[in-house]
Amino acid sequence: MSAGLNIPGGTVRDPGFPTERENYLTNSKGVLSWLFTLDHKRIGVMYLIGVTMAFALGGLLALALRWHLLDPDGTLFTNNIYNQVFTLHGAIMVFLFIIPSIPAALGNFLVPIMLGAKDVAFPRLNLSSFYLWIFGAIFFVMALCASGLDTGWTFYTPYSTTTDTSVIMATLGAFILGFSSIFTGLNFIVTINTMRPPGMTWFRMPLFLWATYATSIIQVLATPVLGITLLLLVAERTMHIGIFDPEYNGDPVTYQHFFWFYSHPAVYIMILPAFGIISEIISVHSHKHIFGYRFIAYSSIAIALLGFLVWGHHMFTAGMSDMTTIIFSALTFTVSVPSAIKVFNWLATMYKGSISLTTPMCYAISFIFLFTIGGLTGLHLGTLATDQHLHDTYFVVAHFHYVMVGGTLVAFLGGLFHWWPKMFGRMYNENGGRFSAFLVFLGFNLTFLPQFILGSRGMPRRYATYDPEFATLHTASTHGALILGIGLLVALIVLLMSLVRGKKASANPWGGATLEWNCTSPPPFYNFERAPAVGDPYDFHSIEWDEENERYVTVDPERKIAPEEEPTTEPAHADKKH
Amino acid sequence: MLPAAFSLLADYTEDYAWFPDSASTFSEEVDSLYYWITGIAVFFFVIVIVALFGFAVKYRKAKGMKAESQVSHNTKLELAWSVIPSIFLVGMFIFGAKVYLDMRSVPEGSYEVGVQAFKWGWTMDYGRGTYHPELHLLVNEPTKLTMRSSDVIHSLYVPAFRAKKDVVPGRYNYMWFQPTLATEKVSDEELAAATKETEENGSEWDFDKYQFTPDGYRFYDLYCAEYCGENHSQMQTVVVVHKTREDLDAWIKKYSSRSETESLESYGEKLYARRGCSGCHSADGKQMTGPTYKNLFGAQRALTNGANVIADENYLRESILYPKEKIAAGYQPVMPSYKGQLSDDDIDSLIAYIKSLSANAQ
Amino acid sequence: MSTNDADTATDPHGDHGHDHEHPAFLAHHFDTPEQQYDSGKLGMWVFLVTEVLFFSGMFCAYAIFRMLRPEVFEGCSQFLNTTLGAINTGVLLFSSLTMAWAVRCAQTEEYKKLTTLIATTLSCAMIFLGVKAIEYSHKWEMGLLPAGMFSYDPAHPHHADAPNYLLWICLPFALIFLGTLIWLISSIVKGNKFQTACLKPLTIVAFSFFIGIGLGTILESGNKGESHSTASDSTEHIESADHSSEIASVGHSPESSQGGHTEYGVMERLAVDATNSGLKNELKALDAQSELATGTVVLDHSTDVDATIKRAPRDFLTPSRAGVFFSIYYCMTGIHAIHILAGIGVLVWLLVRSVRQDFNRQYFGPVDYVGLYWHLVDLIWIYLFPLLYLIR
Repeated sequence: MSAGLNIPGGTVRDPGFPTERENYLTNSKGVLSWLFTLDHKRIGVMYLIGVTMAFALGGLLALALRWHLLDPDGTLFTNNIYNQVFTLHGAIMVFLFIIPSIPAALGNFLVPIMLGAKDVAFPRLNLSSFYLWIFGAIFFVMALCASGLDTGWTFYTPYSTTTDTSVIMATLGAFILGFSSIFTGLNFIVTINTMRPPGMTWFRMPLFLWATYATSIIQVLATPVLGITLLLLVAERTMHIGIFDPEYNGDPVTYQHFFWFYSHPAVYIMILPAFGIISEIISVHSHKHIFGYRFIAYSSIAIALLGFLVWGHHMFTAGMSDMTTIIFSALTFTVSVPSAIKVFNWLATMYKGSISLTTPMCYAISFIFLFTIGGLTGLHLGTLATDQHLHDTYFVVAHFHYVMVGGTLVAFLGGLFHWWPKMFGRMYNENGGRFSAFLVFLGFNLTFLPQFILGSRGMPRRYATYDPEFATLHTASTHGALILGIGLLVALIVLLMSLVRGKKASANPWGGATLEWNCTSPPPFYNFERAPAVGDPYDFHSIEWDEENERYVTVDPERKIAPEEEPTTEPAHADKKH
Repeated sequence: MLPAAFSLLADYTEDYAWFPDSASTFSEEVDSLYYWITGIAVFFFVIVIVALFGFAVKYRKAKGMKAESQVSHNTKLELAWSVIPSIFLVGMFIFGAKVYLDMRSVPEGSYEVGVQAFKWGWTMDYGRGTYHPELHLLVNEPTKLTMRSSDVIHSLYVPAFRAKKDVVPGRYNYMWFQPTLATEKVSDEELAAATKETEENGSEWDFDKYQFTPDGYRFYDLYCAEYCGENHSQMQTVVVVHKTREDLDAWIKKYSSRSETESLESYGEKLYARRGCSGCHSADGKQMTGPTYKNLFGAQRALTNGANVIADENYLRESILYPKEKIAAGYQPVMPSYKGQLSDDDIDSLIAYIKSLSANAQ
Repeated sequence: MSTNDADTATDPHGDHGHDHEHPAFLAHHFDTPEQQYDSGKLGMWVFLVTEVLFFSGMFCAYAIFRMLRPEVFEGCSQFLNTTLGAINTGVLLFSSLTMAWAVRCAQTEEYKKLTTLIATTLSCAMIFLGVKAIEYSHKWEMGLLPAGMFSYDPAHPHHADAPNYLLWICLPFALIFLGTLIWLISSIVKGNKFQTACLKPLTIVAFSFFIGIGLGTILESGNKGESHSTASDSTEHIESADHSSEIASVGHSPESSQGGHTEYGVMERLAVDATNSGLKNELKALDAQSELATGTVVLDHSTDVDATIKRAPRDFLTPSRAGVFFSIYYCMTGIHAIHILAGIGVLVWLLVRSVRQDFNRQYFGPVDYVGLYWHLVDLIWIYLFPLLYLIR
């Protein structure tokens, strides 16, 4: 049925399509116009290309690892190479892919547009953080080419101070990437604080911005601690400063404290933006107001703050005092509550909605399924007694892959499919997209569900070879990884094909109410000519489906001519700025 | 109900078993806690999944249809689903902490074993100068392990006991457990057959194949659970739980020291296998982490500092006690010091054994 | 740091319809100068928070190791020259004053004064580095280095064959000074007024480093006799008193034959009285250790193992143990010095802009932000000074 244009007395608002001169992709040409661009959208796109390449590399390493583990004695590598491969898989995925994926790639593109601003607060800082990312990546590649890296991505001392691989190169790379991350976070905090247009109050911000804001807080507060930790590690290796190295009376457990003080909050750097994306997708594709906006917004901030207090749960078996261990366990449970709240809120949003099972929605549903498993298995690990058994086994591996891959990666893909028409102005093949979501879901579960059992049965992680009784489950896991890989490849092909033969995307293909759907697809380089009118970002009352042109449009109630009035001498927003 | 469902699967010898054997007092507590948490998790998971897919199917509508409701919040409901799960969380925390405290309070008068972890092996110290890589315990006897590491962080993990603790260099960590299930001894014929086969092949004992130790005991696996470098995945040993104290004492006595009648070479060979030398040094010329023993004695050694030495008794002794002093060219200084862990007689035996492997020895 | 500064590029997309006037200093994506200033200021504050957290890692390390080994920290901090530290504190405080004053001058558009004040701030920073160079080179000569390289020997505190560290530190600064001087002369000759105006204060700034060196040398030599005599006095005292027991302990020690670590003693001795109670403990610990090592006692069955650890080498003195203090000292002051260097870089940029008269009532953000940064660097020193030099 056609709901479009049947509201009497309404005026249809649709920005139409951008001209070539307006389109941010085409308004200036040449490689240099990209490399030196200060436009947040182009920087976002460059990040997107960068992180995709990093992900491809990390993913291939993962496939190689799984392939190696087909046989109890290993099929591909020597122990030494296996150790290097899993280290690089971890380090690349964490530092080069997951941390910058949603905040830097999608965030850069979306934050100013969702906010109704023209750009981020510091465009040059933004570009420099992208180049820092490139430098960091180069350092990693150099470490790989020099003598590899076999410490695990955690760089635990004293192993990292004694191994003869390129630890210094890799830690410097991670240090530089840390600065890239800090600058991105700083930029977003300032942008969201100072560049909201009139009418965009804190509680009218889309939840993706809340999530990004919470993420940025963590990036700014936690990353410097990683920076100093890695510097001290480099000093330990070069000068033997005796802080972390027991040979010089240092304490390795101190290193773990320092490291996890950053790296636990970093887990929330990875997952919080995913929450933001899912909140957007669920609401838009259910065409229903998000349920419990404030609870979701507050829970993001709560997670960001509580996330700083739970790092000790990575060290339950390391030999901390019993009291410390118990306190960390208690704190760990508190951080699970806000995540649970979000899941229930998303379900309530779907309840009595009008759900379109589009590709992004399929990914979002898959996210809720996988993240719930990831979250619930966290309970086994947070409970002290069971953690003594499960710590450093495949149970942990499965748990954090459910959160990081089933959570963040799936949300990233969902977000990418959701905003792809906005970013590149093309629609992709919907069936292909749904098929990729199905393959990813299937392959992922087949890869990691067996690993929970492996862990319960006592298979330690980071093992290049294993006892024969674990072989069946490992084989199942490897087959799953292949399906997962194919699913991701399908997703990539669907997206790339859309660039070539995709239909032109309308400004609002899904019926979203946040500001980015108010500008053309792709947006003009200046985003908005003048500050847009800001309403409730989840109010879908005035969004109508236009069957004829296959697009959603905003229908404004008819305006009556207001009695003429003397305009105020000052701009309306002048008094808002102190 | 749920534990029962799990135990249907729990034929522990099979590939699809959910848990390894339950062989200590902790394992029962940990398993039941695990099942309980899993039960709660499954309960909530089912609710979420039914709602998720139910809503996705039920409220799926054609494009342009409006949602039936635009309710944006319901504070009571939201508070309810924030608070109710929290109650379960408190329960998990309390039970988890309670069992954990049990794990950390060692009973008085426990049987004590010292543990030394190194790259990549274990040395269990049974007192009176008896060292062995296997961990031998007495059933129903609380056992305390005092652990130290000579190089990097390791972690001692016995899945059957549900017990794990990191071994951190620069500090002593301890753990305890009480085995409840003794490991059987295999029949003498079976043992003899396996021993013969191993000798014929001239290979090392294959624990995975025989599933019992060279002394004929069934065992539980003991893993290193903290990544420690190249051969991390080979840093395994076995736990044997004896039925009687006499049996355990007899076993310890067997390995306590060189008997009067035993020659230096043959005892040295035992030490070579038992004290972790074989993890890095081959006896047949194979290239491993450390130099091979074959034809080592009496040979000219190039050192990393450019000097040359002849591998005589003094050089070998120094290399065992102070391995980082003179590094053979082409190798990494990764060997831990055996100072204080080998008696003079042990060192003499090892040197005699190395001598016996060399064509250069007079 | 300059990247934190508000974007001052002229509008690259000048053709889209702004309905209000954009001054040259206002970036295109901001609506008003106030918005730009607020953004920059917030950005700077957030950056300072990250800086504080960056240093907090080292403060934590300091706290942990001070708690673990208070005697090492007490003993070692006597090697730091309080007078030099105090002078540096004063210099930095004064530079903060001139910096704050410079912000005011930028707001009131007094360009001459602004340039002078920034130059003064810069000179203070250089003096600070000069004094620091004296402190560092002196310690390096004595082998007071991080744990891995620590080679201090109380009997011969000054290594005869040590390179002249001071000279090497001074070299780059001397080159910079000569460079600016030559550049200044050539710009005067060419008659480039703008360059001359920039380089005059900069030459003075570069020279200030040597003022710092001079100041440090004078104070150091004035202080030397006193602080050193106490140090060597007590060391000798202990050594002569406990010679025999030391030999006994060395003979007993399984460590002694290993790596030539015969020169224990060092700093911790300074804290120990002339009574030989410390050495008795040491001997006891050594005995326990060698017993444990030779296998006569495998485990201490009488008590908990933790007790064994406490009884064993808590105060077993090795240079590496003393080195921890200097590790932390060099890490903290070194990274602080790097921040000073970064500050110098940004201040030079400000100086050039102030000569160019870029700032005005509406646009003084950069001076303000750099000022904030400078105060933070200053503040960190205010904490470092008592923690490292004063608390004993």
